[in-house]
This record gives sequence, C-alpha cells and structure tokens, in this order.
Amino acid sequence: MNNKPLSIIGARWSVVDGRGGGEMAAEGRSPLTSVVEPIIATQGLRKVYRVGRVDVPALRGVDLLVQEGEFVAVVGPSGCGKSTLLHILGGLTPPTTGKVLVDGNDFSAMSDADRTRFRRHKIGFVFQRFNLLPTLTARDNIALAQHIQGNGFNPHRFDAVVDTLGIRDKLNHRPYALSGGEQQRVAIARAVICEPKIVLADEPTGNLDTENSRAVLNMLRALNRSFRQTILMITHNPEAADVADRRIRVRDGHIIPD
Amino acid sequence: MLAIAIEVGMVMLVVGMTHGLVDDAARRVEGVGADVMVQPPGSSFMFGLTSAPMPVKLADRLAEIPRVQAVTPVFFQTNLSGGLNVIYGVDLPSFDRVTGGFAYHAGLPFAAPYDVLVDDLYARANHVKVGQTLNLLNHDFRVCGIVEHGKGSRIFIPLETIQELVGSRDKATIFFVKCSDPGYVDDVVAAIHQMLPKHNVLSIREYMSLMTSNNLPALDAFVTAMISVAVAIGFLVIFLSMYTTITERTREIGILKSLGASKRYIMGIILREAGLLCALGIVGGYAGTLIAKRVILKSFPTLSVELIPEWWLWAALLALAGTLMGASYPAFQAARLDPVDALAYE
Repeated sequence: MNNKPLSIIGARWSVVDGRGGGEMAAEGRSPLTSVVEPIIATQGLRKVYRVGRVDVPALRGVDLLVQEGEFVAVVGPSGCGKSTLLHILGGLTPPTTGKVLVDGNDFSAMSDADRTRFRRHKIGFVFQRFNLLPTLTARDNIALAQHIQGNGFNPHRFDAVVDTLGIRDKLNHRPYALSGGEQQRVAIARAVICEPKIVLADEPTGNLDTENSRAVLNMLRALNRSFRQTILMITHNPEAADVADRRIRVRDGHIIPD
Repeated sequence: MLAIAIEVGMVMLVVGMTHGLVDDAARRVEGVGADVMVQPPGSSFMFGLTSAPMPVKLADRLAEIPRVQAVTPVFFQTNLSGGLNVIYGVDLPSFDRVTGGFAYHAGLPFAAPYDVLVDDLYARANHVKVGQTLNLLNHDFRVCGIVEHGKGSRIFIPLETIQELVGSRDKATIFFVKCSDPGYVDDVVAAIHQMLPKHNVLSIREYMSLMTSNNLPALDAFVTAMISVAVAIGFLVIFLSMYTTITERTREIGILKSLGASKRYIMGIILREAGLLCALGIVGGYAGTLIAKRVILKSFPTLSVELIPEWWLWAALLALAGTLMGASYPAFQAARLDPVDALAYE
C-alpha cells in the first residue's frame, strides 16, 4: 500500500491500493472500496522515548491507513517500532507528535482517560505471551473484558465466540492447565468478546508451535471474514503475514514500501 | 489477614482487660454490700492510692447516725509480693455485719493474728490451699480459709495485724456503711457530710459510676496508646503487603489496562481485595479474641476480660479504616502505572 501522506486528518480518505478490488476478491480477501473512511489513519506519527538523557526515536513519521474489515500484517525486524505502533494505535501510549485517528477519534488530542475509555469499547488486544490472568478460569478471563466494559455479561455473544474458537470444554480451566494454543484462543476470545472495532495482535503466534500457530491464524482469519473484524497483527513469521490481506513493512521507525 | 486479626484481637483484648480490671474492682467493692463509703479528706476513689489517717473509733460515731445499720473499718494495703494486690485488713465481726458474712469454700475464719483468708479465684490462680503459708507484706501468713470471691479484696487479714505491720495503730483507710434501707442512702450521706464535712463520702452508686476507664486518666491514655499501636501495626502491614502485591502483579495490572480498565476500576479492585482481607481478618480477630479470653481466664483466674459490645464494632471500624488507608496509596500507584511498562514487567 501505498500509504499516501494524509493531507487533512478527518477528511474522507481516498485509498489507493496497488491491486484492484477484483483481484483481492479473487484471493478471498476483503476488497476495499475506492472511497471509504479508514478505521485507522496516522499522519507523521512519531514516538520518542527518553532513556536517561538520550532521546531514542521509535517511530519517525509513520503514515498509515487501514480500512474497516481489513486484516493487516505488520512485519519488520526487532526494534523497528512495530510494537510501539501497536501501543499507540491501541491508545496505551500517546504519540510524541503526529496525528492518530482511530474510528474517527484523534488519539493525539485525547486524554489518557478518554483513550482508556475508547480502548475499553473499541480495541481488543492479543499478546504473544497470552497475558491471561493466572488466577481466573478461561471463562472468567473472557468475561472479565465484558465486566470492564460495563455492559454486563452477554451470554449469546459469549457462546458465539467460545464456539467459534472451540474452547467450550476448556472454560473451567485455569491458564496453567491449558496448552499455549488454547491459552491464545482464550486470549483471542477475550479480545473479541466485546465486539471491538479493531483487534491488535502482537506476535500472536510467537510462542506457539506450527500446528497451534496455524490454528490461531485460521481463527483470526475466520473472525476477520465472519465478523468483518479489523485486525492489525504484528508478526515475524512470513507464513503468518501471508494470512493477512496485506503486509506493512516497518524499518527504523518508518513504513517502507514493498 | 493475620495482621488484621491481631490488630482486632489486640484492640478487643486491651479494651476488654482494661474494662474488666476496672469493672471487676468496682463489682467487688459493690459486693461488700455497703451503701456508703467514707474516706479521708483528699483521698482517691482508687483504693490502693489512699493512706490510712482515719481513727477506727470514728466507726462508733458513724454507727450512731440514724438509719445506719452497720459500719466496718477497713485498712487497705498494696501488696507486691506474689503479684499486685490490695489487701483488706478487716475487723471480721463488723465486716460480716455489713457484708452478710463470707461463704467459705474451705477452712474457717481468722483464729490467729497471722491468719489470712483468700478468695477462691486467688486460691485457684496461685494453687493455694488451707494451711499453706503465704508471704504477704514480708511476713508469713497461714491460709485459714478460702472464701467465695466478690467481697472487696481477694486477700483479707485481721485489721489489727495490718495496722501493726504498717505502723498505723487504730487507723482505717475507709469505712463501709450499711443503711437500714437502701432508700435512706442520700439521707445517710448528708448526715455524714454534716458530721465530717472534709471527708470524702460517696454512695456506692456514685462510686460505681466513677469507676470507668474513662475516669482513670492514666488508664485511658494507656488504652488509647495500645489501640494506636494496634492500628499502626495494621496500617503498616496492609500498606507493605499491598505495595508488595502491586509490584508482584504489575503485569496483571497492565493486562487490565490493556482491556480498558480505568484508574477507578483498578483502585476499586485493590481496595475491594484489601477490604475482603480485612473482613476475613476481622472475623479471625473475633474468633482469636474469644479463644484468647478463654485461655487468659483459664491461665489467670483473677484477671477479668470484659468484651464490650460496642467495641466489637469499633475494632472492626478501626481495622477497616487502617486497611483502607494502608491500601489507598498502593492502589493509587497501581492505577497510575504506565500500561506499556506494566505489560513489559517481568
């Protein structure tokens, strides 16, 4: 892609993809409309960490567009700024400079509390290390997201997600009693239970063997297709990146063209 | 939880033992059966602090007051050997007229100057038997009898003996006056005031109302200090344990933040957890207090532990307040954690 620099944040976006919608549809991927409102848009995104007295730039001007319903893989070497990008898009940390629009909300102008509220309702995270709460069962880990969201337990949504991810018989198990693949499926269930607009996955297959990696990727793909779930996935794994609609390469804090 | 249980138990027992000590002393004086007591000018209602400057012959004048049925002089002497006790030096015939007489568990009344009567609780606590020798006021006494507790002191020796031992011949510390009818107490008090205007004359009813820990400044300060120490211990333990917990659970807090948990939500769960631990600690403290009371009374029968109903609530409230204060800062720190740093915490 082909991320053209944005001229005006908040305007309607012309998405230019190297391929036509027919080509993508033929591949079974989400075709993009020609003129749509992107669900994620960044312009000149920079993030600088202060380490002692030294400024360490993690992102050096990232311009990115992601359409609703897209499954995007973000690839790049370690330390290139992928995770920082994910954290900013998830509202976990603010950018140093630049604009971030997520579902029409400008993160750079929002307070920490507003970003937290936004994240609660619109963002789901999947982590490499699963990050399940060890003292809770799988069921409670999933229900926790609904509890935090504050809309109460939705049994229909819960059942649909649990069945889609095939973890019904694991619901009463605590994380230590689950395999890595099962833990990651529970983590995915937790990420999508509140119907977030965007799922941000940080190396979701990084701790899994090939078989489990494939299963997790298939589930992410299925969620993307079944629910038009927008997914942004960081990965080192080329096979994992192939599952996505498109791939974004990051190096030295920049997005580089294919 | 254990710290809260100890805090609650400590508060309950300190207050209970203090109240028990004071109430037991007051009840025993009430148990003498007198209606009025006459003490020398400037004396304290704390008996052990009073010297003995009143002539015993004053009893005869008091007995002449209308509606006075009986008068008995008593000499108080604090004894430190074998524990802190106030020994009553009594004139047994007149003491029996006021009290209605001792109920003897074993033995007989005084038969010799160096005979001593002890009450059953003292005998049980000190494994004392009739015929045994007790060292009191640096002299050996023979235990001539064991009497039912509740009539003033736990140790009684003849009035003349105690006067001789302390060099106050024909002197008494107090006169217990029994009225012919309790309805005449005010009249008798007024008459005694008229006869002895500088003396300290109290009805037993007034004395009982004065005998509370609140009226004993040093005791009140002691209780307050002990409660403060208990609350401070609870606060510090909760503070340190919650702070440690927050550090150990940094990553979990990061997970909650990634799920969109607000600062208030995170503070809420930490304070709720502390509150739950506190509640369990309070229940444990209550149970520990009841067990400790039984152990104390079994081991030290002369002690009295009086668990005051309102202090069940106060101990719980103090523990809860200490817990919430101790947990607030760690909870606040947890809520302020940077989610990215928290998620990266190993």
